[in-house]
Amino acid sequence: MIGRRPQHRIVDVHAHLGPYSLFFIPESDAASMVAVMDLTGTDVTVLSANRAIQQDAHLGNSQSLAAVDAYPDRIAAYAVINPWQDPERELERLAGDERFVGIKVHPTLHRYPVTGARYAAVWEFAESTGCPVLSHSEHQSPYDAPVLFQTVAERYPGTSVVLGHAGITPPGVDEAIAAARRYESLWLEVCGSHMTGPLIRSMVDQVGSGRVLFGSDFPFIDQRMSLGRVVCAPLEESQRQDVLSGNARKLFRWRPLPGERGVGNE
Amino acid sequence: MTRESVVVGENASSGSVVVGGDVTSGWFDARVVTGAHPASLLPATDPEAIAAHLDRFALSGALVSAMASWLHDPIGGNAEASAVAHDLGDRGVLACWTAVPATPGELDSLTSLVDRALDDGVAAFRIHPTSHGYSPALLDELYAALETNRLPLCVDAAEITWPDLTTIATRHPELPIVIGAVGYRKLRELWAALAANPNVYVDLVDFAAHQGVEWLAANNLAGRLVFATGLGVRDPGEGIIRLAWSGLDDATVHLVGAETAGRLFRRTAGARS
Repeated sequence: MIGRRPQHRIVDVHAHLGPYSLFFIPESDAASMVAVMDLTGTDVTVLSANRAIQQDAHLGNSQSLAAVDAYPDRIAAYAVINPWQDPERELERLAGDERFVGIKVHPTLHRYPVTGARYAAVWEFAESTGCPVLSHSEHQSPYDAPVLFQTVAERYPGTSVVLGHAGITPPGVDEAIAAARRYESLWLEVCGSHMTGPLIRSMVDQVGSGRVLFGSDFPFIDQRMSLGRVVCAPLEESQRQDVLSGNARKLFRWRPLPGERGVGNE
Repeated sequence: MTRESVVVGENASSGSVVVGGDVTSGWFDARVVTGAHPASLLPATDPEAIAAHLDRFALSGALVSAMASWLHDPIGGNAEASAVAHDLGDRGVLACWTAVPATPGELDSLTSLVDRALDDGVAAFRIHPTSHGYSPALLDELYAALETNRLPLCVDAAEITWPDLTTIATRHPELPIVIGAVGYRKLRELWAALAANPNVYVDLVDFAAHQGVEWLAANNLAGRLVFATGLGVRDPGEGIIRLAWSGLDDATVHLVGAETAGRLFRRTAGARS
């Protein structure tokens, strides 16, 4: 039996906040998300507001900061950079506000390739500061297929890029694994409707447990659905703990997550 | 709050309740698919794997359909589901058969198919109209036979349109219909179907909407939720953790995990066998 209480401490590096036009999300506010985190043993969630990825990066980023202000010990924020909505302005805001711990880009939603010139400032900022970047990645997308991140890694080898969903589909995961094996700056994140424990195990086997990160995509996908794949995956316990929280604590060095000083900053 | 578990398998027809277990044990998995999937890293689910699944998560039983019935031979594959159910009958495993429209050379009669299923102890039927290339309206004879015998009809959301689902549910109000694999983008449609049709249920296979389970329970629909993992086509950890670490109280977890399945699938199973 699995029991009603979690056995692991968790950091969720891929989450959102608020409503979304394409479908109804029950209880998408920060308080409800923290209540779920209490049930799942999640110490910290790093999120980007849905308004920021879907419609207005500036207003949405303000919503993310409001969630941080409400739950500073539990929630941290990505600054969404939309290449069409004055990315330089939002990068300046990010640089000056320590409540942001990373950058989120969504090339598929914003219909602009990760290799395009409008993203150059993002990669340059990330490389110069150590700010991690979470990007949506999707198999065969002209904007953010896993293979495209190899170009980013070659141009900006000092930039830590998290491939959100690790390509999403099983063939996409294989492509993301191949990219991450070639470039140590690329990390893999495990949420997505087609993800399974065996696929996560495949990531760990081929890339190592040190660059695979737990993310859930909640409140799109229920956090427990994503979490179940990792909790029940055929992993060694040390590998599982790396994925569930240890690696996130290593990745977020620039501005450490709540609850622990960043590795290397002690 | 209750801290009990129900045996939905062999003792469920008598309604026996085992008191003292953890509320996360004794669940009935309302969807397991036996066989190999041709495009997945998930391992094939033979009887041994299903038995291990029951053991690992302390399940009281499962409803098993055949991958072959979905992806190879709709009617011929049913024998594989029944073989598993017979092998693991003492573990509470029940068969779920697949139907297609009666077509010469493939299936003589839907009514006789349901009769054969009842004789074999089958507990439910599943249809795949999209995958098998027909209109759900061609199965009216099946729906009537299932309704008469209180055999539930199972169907994935990708296999049927919401209007077609509602039409079947409205014309056959005593037919329990379990919709599965709803994903996280369909709550508006799901709500309309559940609100209009008290005979529509939803299983937890890929029921991925954030707080979707809690939302239905808060709207007095916990009794329409059925625990299922989709072993064979989904990672079972999804459904297991979804319910175990849900925001539902123990009594409601028990309802979703075991009670509703007991009412749905044990009513007629074995009636003629």
